[in-house]
Amino acid sequence: MRALLLASCWYNAATMLSLLRVLLVFVLLGSEVRAESQGIIVRQATVYTDASIAAGSVGNVPAGVTVTMFKRKGGWQEIYSEERSIIGWVRSYQVRVGNYNSSVVNQEKEDERGFLSGLATFSRTASGYFTQDSGTTSSGTATIGVRGLSEVEINSAEPDFEELKKMDQYASDDKRVKRFSTAGGLQAHKVPYISEVRK
Amino acid sequence: MSACSRRAAIILILWLGVLVAPGVNGFGLDDLKKQFAESSEVLGESLKTLAQLRGEVSTDEEIEIGANLTSGLLGAAPLVADENLQRYVNDVGSWVAAQSERAELPWRFGVIQSDGINAFAAPGGYVVITLGLYQLLENEAQLAGVLAHEISHVVRKHHLEALQETLQRDLLSGLTVAVVDSKKEHTAMRTLIHSGLQLYTTGLDREYEYEADLRGVVLAARAGYDPYAFLDVLTTIDSINPDSAELIVMMNTHPPTAERLDTLARNMDDRLDSYAPGVDNAGRFRKVVAVP
Repeated sequence: MRALLLASCWYNAATMLSLLRVLLVFVLLGSEVRAESQGIIVRQATVYTDASIAAGSVGNVPAGVTVTMFKRKGGWQEIYSEERSIIGWVRSYQVRVGNYNSSVVNQEKEDERGFLSGLATFSRTASGYFTQDSGTTSSGTATIGVRGLSEVEINSAEPDFEELKKMDQYASDDKRVKRFSTAGGLQAHKVPYISEVRK
Repeated sequence: MSACSRRAAIILILWLGVLVAPGVNGFGLDDLKKQFAESSEVLGESLKTLAQLRGEVSTDEEIEIGANLTSGLLGAAPLVADENLQRYVNDVGSWVAAQSERAELPWRFGVIQSDGINAFAAPGGYVVITLGLYQLLENEAQLAGVLAHEISHVVRKHHLEALQETLQRDLLSGLTVAVVDSKKEHTAMRTLIHSGLQLYTTGLDREYEYEADLRGVVLAARAGYDPYAFLDVLTTIDSINPDSAELIVMMNTHPPTAERLDTLARNMDDRLDSYAPGVDNAGRFRKVVAVP
């Protein structure tokens, strides 16, 4: 893939600088095999040479540009934009995976903030695959919530204590939670709360 | 104390918690006691307890309030009929809640049958997430991030405090007094539920939401998850038309998603980056919700 990127850049004299950067990355990262996926910039992003604001900026990519996504590191995402002939790191929240299996239907429209609004009209098909209590898999709309939860519905709701009892029945206990965290490779860390909030 | 007077006491505790707070002078405590004692024997009895509690809501009472509010939410949208899903969400939520300062609460989590994109917390350890929001998620770390935000509301008692303020407003306007005068405790509790439910449509103080965001990502990191996964959730939400029917309630009750993202990113930089390699357990997540 990286070889293709190199080739695509080669034919564009105006992108020689980018080519050098790509070459540098290629040399530094070698032939390491990593997952690549297609993504889309959802917020105008400054592209940095490394996963840090302290690293130099190599340009900007506007919302709506399709990119190839490489590695993610600490809230940063390494991307390559063929359209902009640029490679580098953006904040992870500025780019979103958009692969062909996604239920997202593109309806791109950049708004005044430079964001993509109405990008996603979500298919509800996934909900048709929730497993039932019996363990079988359903399809269709049997388990799909067709109601929204509007302001009126919330405000006019009558309490349902039977459902509350069900919720109690599904609660986890310490033993179960311990087993769950171990099975999931989850380890607790001591992390202080953020006391000095940056406004 | 009977169940009846106990519930009445809870309502009054909520009022008094605000009324005896510094800077609140609109209504004298003695006047209030006198008024209620005269109008209701049951409530007069409750006031003795209130005097002992000095406006503080005990954990048991907080849980009872939360259970009532949650029953209201479940009345609006029942749980999704999928035991595996419900247990999974409880496992994730309980593990995250165990990293908080209120791990001892009887935490309950649920996915409710709604296309709306939202999540709700109620006092005492109740958290529900809509199916609509759940379906947007891509991995366990994102689910943990959403639940951690709601857990933070409970830990900081945001809804309890807001409920006290709401009830105080009603009290001063005379609306709630009329209800209490009816001496029907279930009616009074229903008033409490409806006041609580209104909170879910008017929203908390926006500062509470930012606080829950910042504390939530820390809880997720403590639990071993990638804290940045929550930013991915917000990014997804931000890419949906904010005027869509699914988002309208969330948009009306939370700060603009873009501002939440900016605030989080600014505050997480250099502080939580080292926890980003935390697990996302996408495989386990997909087993619960099979991807077509």
